Amino acid sequence: MPKYLETTVDKFTFRVATDRLYTSQGLWVLGQTNNRVHVGLTDYLQQHSGDVAFASVKPAGFKLATGDQLAEIETIKALVEILSPVSGMVVEVNPALDLTPEVINQDCYDKGWLVVIETANWETDQTKLLEASSYFEVMQSQLQEELKKR
Amino acid sequence: MSSPNEHAEVAVLGGGPAGYVAAICAAQRGARVVLVEKDRLGGTCLNVGCIPTKTLTTATELLLRAKRGSEFGLSIPQAAADLPAMMAYKQATVNRLVNGVAQLLKARRVTLVRGEARLIKPDTLSVEDDQGKRQEISAGRIILAPGSVAAAPQIEGIGLPGVMTSTGALEIETVPRRLTIIGGGVIGLEFACIYEALGSKVTVLEMTPSILPGAADEPIAKRLQILLRRRGMEIRTGAVVRRIEKAGDTLHVFVDGADGETAVECERVLVATGRWPNTERMGFAELGLRMNGRAIAVDERLATNLPNVWAVGDAIGGWMLAHKAMVDGRVAAENSTNGQRQADYRSVPNVIFTRPEVAGVGLTEAQARAAGTEVKVAQFPFSSNPRARILGESDGLVRLICEAGSGRILGVHLLGPHVTDLIAEGALAVQMGATADDLAWTTHAHPTLPEAMLEAALDFRDAAIHFRSQ
Repeated sequence: MPKYLETTVDKFTFRVATDRLYTSQGLWVLGQTNNRVHVGLTDYLQQHSGDVAFASVKPAGFKLATGDQLAEIETIKALVEILSPVSGMVVEVNPALDLTPEVINQDCYDKGWLVVIETANWETDQTKLLEASSYFEVMQSQLQEELKKR
Repeated sequence: MSSPNEHAEVAVLGGGPAGYVAAICAAQRGARVVLVEKDRLGGTCLNVGCIPTKTLTTATELLLRAKRGSEFGLSIPQAAADLPAMMAYKQATVNRLVNGVAQLLKARRVTLVRGEARLIKPDTLSVEDDQGKRQEISAGRIILAPGSVAAAPQIEGIGLPGVMTSTGALEIETVPRRLTIIGGGVIGLEFACIYEALGSKVTVLEMTPSILPGAADEPIAKRLQILLRRRGMEIRTGAVVRRIEKAGDTLHVFVDGADGETAVECERVLVATGRWPNTERMGFAELGLRMNGRAIAVDERLATNLPNVWAVGDAIGGWMLAHKAMVDGRVAAENSTNGQRQADYRSVPNVIFTRPEVAGVGLTEAQARAAGTEVKVAQFPFSSNPRARILGESDGLVRLICEAGSGRILGVHLLGPHVTDLIAEGALAVQMGATADDLAWTTHAHPTLPEAMLEAALDFRDAAIHFRSQ
């Protein structure tokens, strides 16, 4: 399996990392041990949102149900509300986001992670997430929708 | 030795913003007024507070803009601070305004008495001038406006040379290479921005978990902290200063924080840990004036427990702001001349001249939620405001704290360019109980900064034009 699935539309390339799960809203979830998961923005969502100026993420200790607001990402053209893909508790926020929020744009699948969540219902939550190949299809149809709007 | 007694209908103790405004308003209402001031007219605000700091803020902002000249297509090759000239400009501005107050008092026929006053009876002040000459002023009504003094925290080494208060920080002859500021409140951060602009490497030590404790909406304070850190300012919160030591020309500030005890090295230390009501040595305790800690206790009409004695401004505690003190002065002037007015602090804005500026009025988001209100926060970033883009100052945002159902504006909190001016619209909205729709359908001129207020009001219905939420 390649590390990334990718497609190029109108000179822009969009990548999907194959080692993790996704939501159709454009978040990735990378499972780890102890039911802890890293969460971040997909390449498509970060490109669609624009240059990140501020990321306000719920602090460590904050408890979330699936669908609760996890973060607000402010870019130069939009305020993007990020809803939690899983239920649990925030245990770590990426410390790089305060001073260098552009890391989300530069390296969304690695250094640009948002948050680590200790999941409360990982077994159930993960069944609702998309495999990389499924998300890749969702992303492609979202791209096609956008092209039609132009 | 006593000179002939002076008699007045209203006597005012203290010539700062609370006192001189009380004197002018009481005189406007026909009273014969005596004002006692021991120092210069204008109090802390005019002499060592708002006015001199804002002249330095303005001068240093101009310096920074000049240095950014090339961004605007200007060639300004040698923009640099001339410290003695900057201090002279500051002092000339202060002097003009102090003289202006004197002229206003004279025009209203307020008698100015110079000297230190004591309240010796509820209707009598004893005033001693700098020659030791004493006189008594009897008055049917007395308004106490003694102001505040810089708080002096118990820190070992605070008296060392090189350690200064805000008053000292207004009188520097050279710019320190490294400046440590104890206190991340309004005063500390305003000076942090002034000295940073002059070239100092600034470290701010704040005891509480956040800068601007109690002085700003939390998300605004947090964002300011991030912006200052992005510029290279060091800000440590949860940092308790234990002692200051001097070794050669270097001061060492020892701090307890999350990582145990560490030392910050610098050439100068600014102690900016707030102000206390100035209520000692004026005979208040002896007469049984009721106190609230260090502050004079007053009712909603600013009356003290002594008959026909009112108290105003910083001395009654609460927000120590010149404009709030001026409101107090007007309230007490009315009530001491047969009026019946309650002090109304709903629309007192707080303004902080950092870079970018901070301003707020009404409830913060946390206060509104704590009051059990269902809240919707409507916001808009200055990065999407054309005027802010033209100015090259697009950091910041507008936050409107609205009642979820009605859209009534409970609070307005701003970070960004010229927001200390923009907050006036917020104060009016809060005072009049305006809704987000009222603001959204008030046409705001284009291209101006207040358009950001209109767009935030539109965001209440998720209908901002020049920004999208997704």
